[in-house]
Amino acid sequence: MKSLTKFMDSFGAILLAIIWISPLLFAFWAATHSTSDAVNLNVFSPWTLDNFRVAWAGAPWLKYFINTFMLVTVILIGQFFLTTLAGFAFAQLQFPGKDFVFILVLMQLFILPEVLIVENYAMISRLGLFDTILGVGMPYMASAFGIFLMRQAFKGVPIELHEAARIEGCGLLGILWRVYVPLAKPTYLAYALVSVSTHWNNFLWPLIVTNSPETRPLTVGLSIFGAPENGVDISVISAATLMSVAPLLIAFLIFQRQFVQAFLRAGIK
Amino acid sequence: MTTTPFVKLDGVAKRWNGQLGVEGIKLDIPEGSFTALLGPSGCGKSTTLRLLAGLELPDEGKILIDGKDVTTSAASDRNLSMVFQSYALFPHLSVAENVMFGLKVRRVPKKERLEKLHRALEITGLLGLEDRKPGELSGGQRQRVALARAIVAGQRLCLMDEPLSNLDAKLRNAVRKDIKKLQRDLGITVVYVTHDQTEAMSMADTVVLMKDGHIQQVGSPEDLYSRPNNTFVAEFVGAPPMALLQSSVLDGFGDDKTIGIRAENIQIVPKGEGRMRCTVNESEFLGAETLIGLDHAGAAGLCVLKPGLSMMAEGNEIDISFHDENLHVFDAAGQRLAG
Repeated sequence: MKSLTKFMDSFGAILLAIIWISPLLFAFWAATHSTSDAVNLNVFSPWTLDNFRVAWAGAPWLKYFINTFMLVTVILIGQFFLTTLAGFAFAQLQFPGKDFVFILVLMQLFILPEVLIVENYAMISRLGLFDTILGVGMPYMASAFGIFLMRQAFKGVPIELHEAARIEGCGLLGILWRVYVPLAKPTYLAYALVSVSTHWNNFLWPLIVTNSPETRPLTVGLSIFGAPENGVDISVISAATLMSVAPLLIAFLIFQRQFVQAFLRAGIK
Repeated sequence: MTTTPFVKLDGVAKRWNGQLGVEGIKLDIPEGSFTALLGPSGCGKSTTLRLLAGLELPDEGKILIDGKDVTTSAASDRNLSMVFQSYALFPHLSVAENVMFGLKVRRVPKKERLEKLHRALEITGLLGLEDRKPGELSGGQRQRVALARAIVAGQRLCLMDEPLSNLDAKLRNAVRKDIKKLQRDLGITVVYVTHDQTEAMSMADTVVLMKDGHIQQVGSPEDLYSRPNNTFVAEFVGAPPMALLQSSVLDGFGDDKTIGIRAENIQIVPKGEGRMRCTVNESEFLGAETLIGLDHAGAAGLCVLKPGLSMMAEGNEIDISFHDENLHVFDAAGQRLAG
C-alpha cells in the first residue's frame, strides 16, 4: 500500500510535469523545423534554425527586449522604493489610522488590476505618460502584495537591533537602510523574482497603454508579430515565442536553486 | 559627594497604560563609577535604564547627563553606548563592521575608525575574528563583540542590560571580572542592570535596589548587606538572605517589630543555653560549609552555617543563640529603626 502511494506520488508528479512542459516542448519542436514538418510531427524531418532568422528579421526584437528589460527594471525599482518605505511605516512606526490605512492597502489585493484598466488609462493619460515605459510601469509600483511582504519581513527584525542602531546614532532612514533592508534580503530576492516574471509576461495593460515600437514590450510585440493578419506561420511564431521567453527561462535554469530557496527563506522568516 | 553628579535622575516617572513602570526615581551617579540597578523581574530596573538611554521618554521628571538636560533628547544625542541582553549584534555584518557601526554612522574618518577598531578588539581579545559573522561566534565571543561595540567610540557612559544572563555560570564569572577591569581601566561610568545580586554586589561601587518601580535603597554593597533599609532589602541581598523574626519571639523588643539576623551571626549552642529552639528542615552542603535550614513558628528563612561537611538530620531540635549587636530591627511597616 505504502509503495503504491509512493508510486502514485511520483507518477502524478511526472505526469503533471509532462503536461506542464509539453507546450514548451512543442514550441521548441515547431521552432526548429519547417512548418509542414512541425505540424506533421515527423520525427525524422531535418532540423533548421531558419525560423529564428525569419522571426528575428520580422520585428524590432532588440528594441522590444530593451523595452521589456527597462519596464521590469523601472517597476522593480519603483516597487522596492515604495514597498520598503510603506512596509517600514506599517511595521515599525506609530501613526493615527495606521490599521485602517493598512486594511485599505490589503483590500487592493482583492481587486484585479484588469478591473481598473480604464481608470488607470485615464490617469496615465492625464499625467501625460501615455505610451511611455514609466506609464506602463506606474500602476504596479505601489504593490499591496509587496507592501504586505515587506511589512512582515520588517516585523520579524528583533527590536533590539533597531534600538542598538538608534543608540549608535542612526536616524530613522539610516536604521531602515542599514538594518532592516539588509536583513530582509531574502524577501527582496523572492519578491524581485515574482515581480520580474509577472511583468515580463504582462500583456493586456502594456497592449493598451503602448502605441509604438519605441515603448512596446516583448509580449505586445510578439502578439502583433503573431497576429492572424500577418499570416499564421506556426514555426516562425514558435521561434519568436521561444526568443521572448528565453531570458527568463535561462535565468530560471541557472538560478533554480536560489529561486526555490528564496521563497522558502522568505516564508520561514 | 560635592562634585555635580555625572548622571542625574530627578523625580523620573514612567507609567504604562494602567501598569506601573517606575515612579519617583531620584539617583545621582558620579563619573567613573559602577552602578548596578538590582531587583526582581518587573521592578522597573530595565525601564530606568531605557529611560536613561532615551529608548523611552519619561512622563515626569528630568534626566541630566554630564550637566546637560537630555530628558527629551534622542538616544543618539546622549553620547552613551549600550550592551543589550541579547547583544543585538547585526547578523548581516562582520565583527569589524558591527564594532565600527556607530563610527561609520557618525562619519568618523576611515583611518581613525580602523585605529579605534583595532584598539577595541585588542582590549576585548577579539583580534583575528574581524571577518566572522556573529552567527559563527560562540556566546562568549558575541558578548565580547557587544562590549567592543560599546567601548569603541569612547563614550563616557555605558549602559548594560543584563549582559551576562545568556552566558553559562563559569563564563559569567570570568566576564564579570573582565567587565569590572574594563570599566576601571577606561574610567568610564557604567550603569548595569541585573537581577543577580551576586553580580551586583561583586561588581558595583553603588547598588540601587528597586522593587515595584520604586528605589528601595541606594548604597555601597556593604551598606546594603550590613545596613538594609527595610525588610525587602534584607531579604533580597545576601546568600542566604537575612532571616526575619517576629519581635515577640525575643525578649525586650516589643510585639510589632521585625528582627533580622544573618546566618553567619547565629551559633548553635548546647540545649538549654540558646535564645530560640528550632527544628532542622534541610541541610545543604555548599562545599566549604553546610547550610542548615531551620524551622521556627515566629521566623522566616532562618538558617545557620556550619563549617565543612556537617549534615544534620531533618527533624532534629537544636538551640541557637546570637548577639544583640548583630540584630537588625525593623518597624511594623518594615522600615529600619536606628541602630
